[in-house]
Amino acid sequence: MAVCTTWPAFAGPCTGAEEQLAAASRALNRNAVNVAENILRALSASHPDCPEIVLHQARLAQAKGRVDDAAELFYRYTDTDPNDSRGLAYFGRFFLEQHDYMRADALSATAMDKNPNDPAALALRGQVLVMKEQSSEAQALLEKAIKLDPDDPEAQFQLGAIYDKAKAAPQAVEYFRRATKLNPSDARAWDYLALNLEPLGDLEGADRAYQKGLQVNQPGRYHDAFLDYNYGRFLAKRNDLSGSKRHLDRAVELTPQIRAVWYERARLDLRVQNYQQARSDAEKAAACTQQGGIIDLQIYSLLSQVYARLGNAELAKKYADLTRETPPPVRGEQR
Amino acid sequence: MRRFLPTLFAMLAVASWSSGPPQIQFENRQKESRITFVLDNGTLPDKPMLDGIPGGVALLDYDNDGYLDIFFANGASLPGLIKTANRFSNRLYHNNHDGTFTDVTDRAGLRGEGYSIGAAAADYDNDGFVDLYISGFDRNILYHNNGDGTFTDVTAKAGVTGISPAGKKLWGISAAWLDYDNDGKLDLFVTNYLDWSFATSRVCGPPGKRLSCSPTFYKGEPNILYHNNGDGTFTDVSEAMGISRHIGKGMGVAIADYNDDGWMDIFVANDNDRNFLFKNRGGRGFDEVGVESFVAFTDNGVPVSSMGVDFRDWNNDGKPSLIVTALGGETYPLFRNEGNGFFSYESYRAGIGFHSFKMSGWGAGIQDFDNDGYKDLFTSNSHVSENADLDKQQHYRQPNAVFRNMHDGTFQDVSGNAGPAMQIRAAHRGCAFGDLNNDGKIDVVISAIGSPAELLYNTSPGGSHWILIKTVGVKSNRDGIGTRIKLTSASGLVQYNHVTTAGSYASSNDLRVHFGLGAETVIKEIELKWPSGTVQVLHNVKADQILTVPEE
Repeated sequence: MAVCTTWPAFAGPCTGAEEQLAAASRALNRNAVNVAENILRALSASHPDCPEIVLHQARLAQAKGRVDDAAELFYRYTDTDPNDSRGLAYFGRFFLEQHDYMRADALSATAMDKNPNDPAALALRGQVLVMKEQSSEAQALLEKAIKLDPDDPEAQFQLGAIYDKAKAAPQAVEYFRRATKLNPSDARAWDYLALNLEPLGDLEGADRAYQKGLQVNQPGRYHDAFLDYNYGRFLAKRNDLSGSKRHLDRAVELTPQIRAVWYERARLDLRVQNYQQARSDAEKAAACTQQGGIIDLQIYSLLSQVYARLGNAELAKKYADLTRETPPPVRGEQR
Repeated sequence: MRRFLPTLFAMLAVASWSSGPPQIQFENRQKESRITFVLDNGTLPDKPMLDGIPGGVALLDYDNDGYLDIFFANGASLPGLIKTANRFSNRLYHNNHDGTFTDVTDRAGLRGEGYSIGAAAADYDNDGFVDLYISGFDRNILYHNNGDGTFTDVTAKAGVTGISPAGKKLWGISAAWLDYDNDGKLDLFVTNYLDWSFATSRVCGPPGKRLSCSPTFYKGEPNILYHNNGDGTFTDVSEAMGISRHIGKGMGVAIADYNDDGWMDIFVANDNDRNFLFKNRGGRGFDEVGVESFVAFTDNGVPVSSMGVDFRDWNNDGKPSLIVTALGGETYPLFRNEGNGFFSYESYRAGIGFHSFKMSGWGAGIQDFDNDGYKDLFTSNSHVSENADLDKQQHYRQPNAVFRNMHDGTFQDVSGNAGPAMQIRAAHRGCAFGDLNNDGKIDVVISAIGSPAELLYNTSPGGSHWILIKTVGVKSNRDGIGTRIKLTSASGLVQYNHVTTAGSYASSNDLRVHFGLGAETVIKEIELKWPSGTVQVLHNVKADQILTVPEE
């Protein structure tokens, strides 16, 4: 009887570690740092020469905020295997987090050259193209990335962000839901999910999403500095003024350089007739250089109201005049 | 980048929060009425600005038979601006008192000319017959009611052509009759929109699927105030009265004496520009105080696409407040009059914020539909762009909305339970409010581009009582427009309203003032403050009647 024998392929340094490496990668995707760390520790002992361990150690260092270590490990890995599109893509994602956009752009392009079917490369390139405002190309790449690797929460998040920007709330919700399911520790995704549930009228769902986001909003790569701001605004609309104040107070602590947070708290102050605090907050908003989406017209209008309420006719008139002199924003070309 | 401003979102089916039995019900009786009017905007493939804007409705009793008749303003062929076919004709329908109407347009001489948009009805010459002013893109027309079922175009003689002193015909949208100087003669306020023409028209959106361009691409225009000279002529006093120095993008207009000084004030809804509140300076001029009164913008300090407006007291505190309709993603601003010169933005506090965020609206009314003594809200809805559905979050054809007053400063969206008539998706535009069948319930007539006008008869259940008050001025203007009425029920509930036909979008409402009385069959006291200054008080008035009150 003939016996077919399959000889094992060439046994490399990572042979036998494939499943554990995949598990580590998945853990890193969902920010399960401790799980990934344990797996990698065991793998380092069993497969000390496996270069892919270095790649995931780099990602682990990145997740833990050890920037220098991460950079060194990424360099080491890409020196070892300069043709691995995944390594280039993860390194690019690291640069993106460090706001080094030029290098991220270059690495994303190189990763795509190496392997245009690598989901990590596709996802990174898509993310970069979003930032370059090439939304349709970005969308195509991210959709392909998700098809190849539906478990990448970052790709899901980025695709959701494209729909969010396009004001397509139902689609955005779909992707943010997936992102939060894959990585429940991503406070940004919870925030965006809530922001997109709100216009769909799912106010309870939005509330739950904001609260889940706040529960996991820790310093680090998934931290969302505007979660309190957005939740504070939401609660004000739901007439929970004390809850709104709590979160807007926190928002001004977190991002005092942003005009929007002072502006929003001043509006709330005005609503609860705390006019002195409204004046203080509105003046701080006016002094902020980072507008955060709040234009001068809004500030003038707010200040005119505040000073009118305070009975300061002179300043109320000054800001009313400025309000009148300031043209309204030019909206989109069509409607 | 993190967003800070709200954006445009999906228009979903309107869900009702109502859990109890339905309190407000409407039934569309268009088919039985024999009214076949279809608003024709003469649209072109490039969707010029003009074609999204028409659709005024007027409810007026032109033959004094005690029943409201219906006038519809209509568009014209484009770009010629000519009513080349019957389908572009304005229409007057006579109320036959049995739920049917007869088209009397030709006999009345009201087919019209040019691209008509708005309608405003009132008896400007105090002869006892209601007259009609039509505002439009290229023609404004004043029709004098001859008292025999016919009207005569007296525009040129009266001097109310809508042409600026510089000789330019301004794009008229809405008009309001008011006696701003309390001299006993009704004056005329006309809102004007954009400095737009086919020559300067932009094209927006992809070929074959054009969208309405944003008005921000065009300069605004001044509004016009005509003073009634009492001899059949008017004088343009826009400059002298401080009106024309304010350039806006005027759409709806409503009047009320918001500061209770005895002089009627004017609110103008401006599209993507700050709204105007013209505060009447004792009949000697107007100060524009929209910014100072906090009605120029929402509380977020930016203008919205203000379309229609109504200006009445919805919380029974004696202070007329405002509702303004806008486009999807903006919310309908609800401005509560605080009585100290300031208004507060109440859309979210009052519970209409999240609901109206998904709507695009035109007509607006603050009316007591369930006769419980508290005025409710109604909006006629549709997006401005015929191809709005290209954006999945927007819908061109939308159902109308009604919000029930919960007596505590909040409203409940009860549209979903208000009957099949309130689920009709159409390109609704102007709407007018009045009691078509004199049953004491406020009905709504709505114009819609490309589909039959809707006659929403109010069929709300329950035997709540009511009164309709028809004022007849003697020293004041004959219609009594501007008369402020305070009604005190035996239970102590106090309500306020005032006589006006202005409000909504490009439309004209029942002149008679309606009050819902709930279970009360006798009204303890009705106080009328006439524009002449006369204060008249009636005691122990029976409910469920149309009460004519001549000025003493």
